[in-house]
Amino acid sequence: MEFSWPEDDARFRQALRDFLDETLPDDWEEISRHGPGSDDQSSFSRTFCARLAERGWLTQSWPAAYGGADATPWRHAILSEEMWRCGEPRGSQYMNVNWIGPTIMKYGSEDQKREHLPRISGGDVLWCQGFSEPEAGSDLVSLRTLALRDGDDYVVNGSKIWTSYVNGAELCFLLVRTDPESKRHKGITVLLAPMDAPGVEVREVPAVVGERYFHELFFRDARIPASARLGPEGEGWSVVSYALAYERVGAMRYARAGLTLDALAAAAAERGRLDDPAVQEKLGAARAAVEASRLLSYRVIDLRARGSEPTADTNIARVAGTMCENAVSNLALELFGAEALEYGTFAESYFRLAMTAGVAVGTTEINLNLIASRSLDLPHE
Amino acid sequence: MDFEPNEEQRAIALAVDNLLAQHAGPARAIELEREGSYDHALAAALTEAGFLGARLSEETGFLEAALVVEAVAKAGGVVSAAAESLVAPGVAGRSLEGPVAIARAGEDAPIRFGDHARTLLLDAGDEARVVILEPDWREPVRSNFMTPLGRIRVPEGAGESLGAGSGSRLRRWWRLALALDCLGALEAALDITVEYVKRRRQFGRAIGSFQAIQHRLAQCAVQVEATRWLCYEAAANGAPEEACAIAAAYATDTAHHVFRETHQLTGAMGYTREHDLHVFSMRLEALRVELGGTAAHRRAITRSRWAS
Ligand SMILES: Cc1cc2nc3c(=O)[nH]c(=O)nc-3n(C[C@H](O)[C@H](O)[C@H](O)COP(=O)(O)OP(=O)(O)OC[C@H]3O[C@@H](n4cnc5c(N)ncnc54)[C@H](O)[C@@H]3O)c2cc1C
Repeated sequence: MEFSWPEDDARFRQALRDFLDETLPDDWEEISRHGPGSDDQSSFSRTFCARLAERGWLTQSWPAAYGGADATPWRHAILSEEMWRCGEPRGSQYMNVNWIGPTIMKYGSEDQKREHLPRISGGDVLWCQGFSEPEAGSDLVSLRTLALRDGDDYVVNGSKIWTSYVNGAELCFLLVRTDPESKRHKGITVLLAPMDAPGVEVREVPAVVGERYFHELFFRDARIPASARLGPEGEGWSVVSYALAYERVGAMRYARAGLTLDALAAAAAERGRLDDPAVQEKLGAARAAVEASRLLSYRVIDLRARGSEPTADTNIARVAGTMCENAVSNLALELFGAEALEYGTFAESYFRLAMTAGVAVGTTEINLNLIASRSLDLPHE
Repeated sequence: MDFEPNEEQRAIALAVDNLLAQHAGPARAIELEREGSYDHALAAALTEAGFLGARLSEETGFLEAALVVEAVAKAGGVVSAAAESLVAPGVAGRSLEGPVAIARAGEDAPIRFGDHARTLLLDAGDEARVVILEPDWREPVRSNFMTPLGRIRVPEGAGESLGAGSGSRLRRWWRLALALDCLGALEAALDITVEYVKRRRQFGRAIGSFQAIQHRLAQCAVQVEATRWLCYEAAANGAPEEACAIAAAYATDTAHHVFRETHQLTGAMGYTREHDLHVFSMRLEALRVELGGTAAHRRAITRSRWAS
């Protein structure tokens, strides 16, 4: 065991911070407060990711064969930490790099690889993720959106919901059912669907978590070319499992939480409240939650660096990530009081960002279920 | 960054587990509790194997010493391993004659190993002091918390000062040591409870198949796992002030949570002396009030990180 960063990783982090200082505009802080799915942040991500790509950093974790640098999972973690820390200037493009690209490398045809991978590694394509449906949330395999083969196309009918990052998205990583008789995991297929296909309609679902966070996608006899199918028909669940395994820790939430907490402590000091034992206690508790989340996320990266199969450590890290977000965002509201109620203020925007942690990308309860069965080996009914 | 034990660490863990399987365990802890004794036999065996005192940290490192402390706690060992193998070398730079107790000057509260200690590490504010104890300075305290307690009254100015500033060094290591004592007991308490709910049947099924129970144990598992890495990182990095306060704050908060949950989920059986849980659960509660408790550790985090 060893808990320190090698010299070259530390240098990389510093170079990245310098780059962010140079590259992020003066009003970045403002822009980032609207959330990663907002219009401003989506369009900014295109210029930003292109510059990241110029440096060779955007897809450094990809294999050299696909223009990457075979960077270690630890390198990739540093990139994710630093990006999330400053409000994710990559917008939705972190998804492209983290799991959409790698899944296309694994399951894509040569044509699909040629079509999609260079655009992802160039940093100017936006994707969205069409998994959840009105009747299929945690129980994703109950999804119903139907895609029936008709000549060279699939004809798609149904709807998706909660889709983020739809602004400017050209493509959707879409889960459909290709066999209407099939149940659960069987009969699911992945389509790399162009969002401008006829019969695809987008509607925003207004939500308190921020502008353009949630959307509904309606498919009404939408024709998606069969050449957009990723992997064999009916084998989509293996493809998704592979993709989700790549997603693993997901957003490095503790990085932003930790930075926010430092700012909260500074605000408490300004207000003369850093000597208040009750404030000290809450700051300390939140700091411990941030560090717990960081180390449990590192454990997942460590396992990945050794090439281990996904374990319940991922779920453990996610639960701790939510605890960390809750501790810090509760404190943000408590410290700033009614000031934190004004939209777009520092405390308010963090609170808003943090409040979905226990639901997005798999709920706390589902994570606890998986810890109970995989890690504690508790019996089923 | 590397979260897997290396070969040497694995070998140490294996050797200490073998030794503990022979000399320690909850049954032994229950027997010693009844007699009000300290486990001199276990201490001798650990010393002979090189697992007690400064030797391990000097020859291999503090993380290895931490692994031994965790293992002893997990086996319910009634020895002052944390004070002897981590705190003494960390603060005094050498072994101190065991049993070793740690206390804050000017407090009259019961302290762990107070009635058995040969040496006292005293937190006297700015400085730490090492005091060789006279038998009549000690007095036993009756307690139900499954860890031998005593009061120690030392004459003013007794012992040797470890120098200006050594007080904060003592508190750092003390916090890490008690976090590691928590860690071992947490793992044992959780393991015992997980096994219990798999076997205990009510309403025609194992109670561990009820989701209400699964979620509570899974939540405990998250916090125990986090405690582990917080402790290891702090030990490996030489006990930095903030990291030690974090380890102690998180470990003691988890200690209380796990105490409540494990007793709840083992029903009446968990309260009995025939069931092993109490050896660890009661100790967890003793640990969580030490050195000011969770609230004090949390304030220490804030002072360490943000006080200008
Ligand atoms: C910010 C945000 C962004 C999102 N972005 C996307 C996106 O881009 N694309 C996409 O496809 N989806 C997206 N989602 C959807 C997300 O994946 C789902 O919200 C999530 O999987 C939970 O599904 P649900 O909301 O339908 O809740 P439900 O599954 O209805 O759950 C409601 C409650 O019931 C509990 N519950 C459900 N099943 C069980 C069980 N077996 N045991 C115990 N408790 C249970 C849940 O834990 C939860 O507390 C996003 C969600 C959020 C919040």
